[in-house]
Amino acid sequence: MFKSLLQCSGLLLCLILLSLNSHTLLAQAAEPPTESTPEIQAKAILKAAIDNWRGMSSYSEMTMRIHRPDWERSVSMRGWTRGDKDSLVRVTAPKKDIGTGTLTLDKGMWTFSPKVNRVIKVPSSMMNQSWMGSDFSNKDISKADEIVHSYSHKLTAIHEQDGHKVYEIEAIPHEDAAVVWGKQVIRVRDDHVMLSEAFYDQDGILVKRMDTLEIQELDGRPVATRQRMLDIEEEDHWTEIILHTVDFNIELADSVFTLSNLRNPRD
Amino acid sequence: MNISLLSQLAWRNLWRNHRRTFIMLSAITIGVWAMIFMTALMRGMVDQMVENGLNTFTGHIQIHHENYLDDPAINNSLPYPGPELIAELNNSPAWTTRVRVPAVVNSERESRGVMLMGIESEKEKALSFLADSIVEGRYLKAEKEKGVLIGKKLAEKLETELGKRIVIMSQDPDNNIVDVGVRIVGIYQAELRATEEQFIFLDQGYTQKILGIKNQISEIETREENFRDLAARKTVIESKLEQNQKIQDWRHLNKLLAATLGMMDGFVLIWMLVVFIALSFGLVNTLIMAVFERTREFGLMLSLGMKPRLILSQVLFESLFLLVLGLTLGTGLAWLAIKPMESGIDISVVAEGMAKMGVGATLYPSLETRDILTANLIVILLGVSASFLPAFKASRLKPIEAMNVN
Amino acid sequence: MPISLRLAWRNLWRHKRRTWLTTGAMVFSNVLLVFLITWQYAMYGMMVDNSLRMLTGHFQIQHPAYFDKPRIENSFQLSKSTLEALENQDGIDVLVRRSEAFVLASSRERSYGIQIIGVEANKEASISSLPGLLKDGRYLQANEEQIEIVLGSRLAKNLKIKLGDELTLFGSAKDGSTAAAIATLVGTLETGVQEVDRNLAFIHLEDFDAIFAMEGEIHRVVALTPSVDSVDTLLTKIPELGEDVVVRDWNKLLPELKQSIQSDMASSWFMYSVLIILVAFSVLNTQLMSVLERTKEYGIMMALGLNTLRLASLVLLEALLMALLGLLLGIGLGLIVVAILGQTGVSFPGMEEMAAEFNIPSRMYLEIDLRSAMAGPLLVFSASILAAIYPVLRLRRLRIVQAMRAP
Repeated sequence: MFKSLLQCSGLLLCLILLSLNSHTLLAQAAEPPTESTPEIQAKAILKAAIDNWRGMSSYSEMTMRIHRPDWERSVSMRGWTRGDKDSLVRVTAPKKDIGTGTLTLDKGMWTFSPKVNRVIKVPSSMMNQSWMGSDFSNKDISKADEIVHSYSHKLTAIHEQDGHKVYEIEAIPHEDAAVVWGKQVIRVRDDHVMLSEAFYDQDGILVKRMDTLEIQELDGRPVATRQRMLDIEEEDHWTEIILHTVDFNIELADSVFTLSNLRNPRD
Repeated sequence: MNISLLSQLAWRNLWRNHRRTFIMLSAITIGVWAMIFMTALMRGMVDQMVENGLNTFTGHIQIHHENYLDDPAINNSLPYPGPELIAELNNSPAWTTRVRVPAVVNSERESRGVMLMGIESEKEKALSFLADSIVEGRYLKAEKEKGVLIGKKLAEKLETELGKRIVIMSQDPDNNIVDVGVRIVGIYQAELRATEEQFIFLDQGYTQKILGIKNQISEIETREENFRDLAARKTVIESKLEQNQKIQDWRHLNKLLAATLGMMDGFVLIWMLVVFIALSFGLVNTLIMAVFERTREFGLMLSLGMKPRLILSQVLFESLFLLVLGLTLGTGLAWLAIKPMESGIDISVVAEGMAKMGVGATLYPSLETRDILTANLIVILLGVSASFLPAFKASRLKPIEAMNVN
Repeated sequence: MPISLRLAWRNLWRHKRRTWLTTGAMVFSNVLLVFLITWQYAMYGMMVDNSLRMLTGHFQIQHPAYFDKPRIENSFQLSKSTLEALENQDGIDVLVRRSEAFVLASSRERSYGIQIIGVEANKEASISSLPGLLKDGRYLQANEEQIEIVLGSRLAKNLKIKLGDELTLFGSAKDGSTAAAIATLVGTLETGVQEVDRNLAFIHLEDFDAIFAMEGEIHRVVALTPSVDSVDTLLTKIPELGEDVVVRDWNKLLPELKQSIQSDMASSWFMYSVLIILVAFSVLNTQLMSVLERTKEYGIMMALGLNTLRLASLVLLEALLMALLGLLLGIGLGLIVVAILGQTGVSFPGMEEMAAEFNIPSRMYLEIDLRSAMAGPLLVFSASILAAIYPVLRLRRLRIVQAMRAP
């Protein structure tokens, strides 16, 4: 009976942006030392990525398409991120949702609606819903840095595809990580574009999968511009994120990630 | 004429019309059986309600923050008892503390709102059903425990199982979201499905660490010698409490339970009386017939100089024998009927409805000595008094007229 | 026949005391059964009625998937004409529309996830008892500028808001967009059931429609009929409403209600049967006695040419007359008892707590209901007749000569 409702677009985008960042940053990471074991390689890739990731910032514009057998809906948004904790997202379309925003800081999440002109802190009981009826569960996205911190990683395969090397990394959550999945399998190209992320339950059954459908060069680097989260267990349920523009490593004032900015945008 | 002769006479008279005696005997037997059997079932049901109610984290006495019961939020907690309070609590046969806060649990596919219980696993054993109800896996270890216990029903709803991890989300006193992954180390089964769906258990220290509430608890629960009389204990413990702490007994925490228990004794007595009255019509009737049949005989005895008092006693003896026989048989049958059921009667057919009353799918009849005594006393005392009328009539017969009846 | 009847009647009164005692057993249990069964059914009726009159109604029209997955998108639309046609249909008293959504309700101090219900404020009181359980303030009123909200008393307390304070509602609308609104608390409700008082929230259906972008769609049409018993037949008469909706009766909507009644019924009828069996034994005994003691008389009658069959019917007739007497007196007295209790009301210690749990009033005023008044006594009646069969069978063993020599 708990309905899907949570206003945490910020988190969703945060994840996507941060993972974009992290995968992009793989470029700056050292090439994996070829002589070590796959486990150490995977760790090295991610460790380097994390080290480089901290302090990073971004600005982006994007559209989310939620598809269901009987309807489809699009939401356009602008997002700012800084480091692995802070993010701010604001809806720019459709008209009725313009100005709706979500701010995520280290320990909390706030949402703002111009309709009521209020900022509301989201309680834990509401953290568990799928977002706006999309195929992203807040659980997957509320802790963007979790994929790095709360998992142990393993490089399981390297293959060639379209002239690129593709690393397949298996991520298994730590014992006390707030993650329900049994494992996640991430495929990353050597130019650090994420190709897919698959979510398996604890019996090893695939539950949902995010696929990269389009890759373009934005802000001077290849970026996944269209990604689709597919619900494996329900037919014709998917959500797409289409990235229009992105600027990496920009200067963002501290005031961006504040409740007052959430309420009264200064940008 | 002495008593032994009198009773011999009565005994023989009883069997002069054995068919009638048998019928009456069976009626009394069935009546007594029904009295005792039904009472045992009802007692079993109420005992179970009370037992379940008290075992399900109610106990006999509980102490909370004064606002906790209205608003079971993490902010309404109290510090772990200090030495003075502990010293007092140690006078109770058992006590424990719990963190009890609302939380949400997630599996890969489902999510549920639950009550997260941070328990002192060793102390908890003496207070609730939990430790004895683990059906898969194990109970919580006393130290360094990071596993979770969940109910069987909840496991089904979450589509998860023993050995898998689930994620618990709640919030700390500053309204910040806290979450943690925990492995299911044990699955418990409760009498009520609702209980299985509602409560999950973590080690108390671990819970406090997750929630960021060092040394804070939601409730203190005690178990006392006698759950019916708690006023004195309450006053003593209360004197050791802080201003904003509130002490309540189970009657307050579970009003329905208290009311049901209160009604039970009255109900048992009424049931026995009703059965007896239904029975007594037949009893009196049989005796009247027995007397009527022997009008001539009584007339003869009276005219031969037998005292009316002895006639009266003789009839009363007849009735007494009948009653005692019926009682013995009825009580014995009830005992025989209940003995094999003591391991429980499966009432799952109607269990869904009974669940609302706090009764599980198995009913354990409870044969209580005082109920057997009550039933026997009622039947003997009232039975003999009811026989007084026909007996009196027999003793007041006019010898001549009586002898002339056909 | 009249002769046998007169004979049987006279035979009965040859042993006045015995007949009265046997009849007395019947009358006693009949009066008791009339009272208990009337009480019992009145209580069930009340439980059902009061439970259904909280929110459920007698039947509902819903989207087919709504029962299992009460998601906001599982809504439906019924045209005004369809609704009016339904409402005018015989056997339907009231129809109201409702919508429901899960929202985050936030006051300055606290936030809770709650189920909010959009109601037709002017009609809601005719179908639900909740509007009548006002604790503070008033119920929703039509034509107000602001968005009004009525909350369960405990919820209001936990949110720490008072009448006139504002509450922010936040959720997602049917189209997935953000649903947000500020509502003003105009009243609180108290049912006495904690769980309910912690969760109730009502707003106007029009407001709900706007906030959650329902575009005229709703989640439930709740209907009340004159009585629960008429629901089944009524449902067969409801016209096809289309593929997007299903009709569900109260049994489907609240299955545990019927189950708790059934389990209570099982244990009650066990007790009743014990009573009835005891009465049957009493009758058996009486009839057997009366047959045995008249052995000589029967012998003479048979010698005079009366066959066993006639004799048997005579004895049966006696039992029948006695049972009839018990039946009539029992029902009569029973009804008087019920009628008196209907005036004074019945209550017992502990009933108040029971009442809160099972949605019944704490003092019950019984109403005479012939159907439930008859059930017990008729069973006693049949059991008494059955009990007379054994003595009658014994007649077949009667041998004329021996019988005539009997003492």
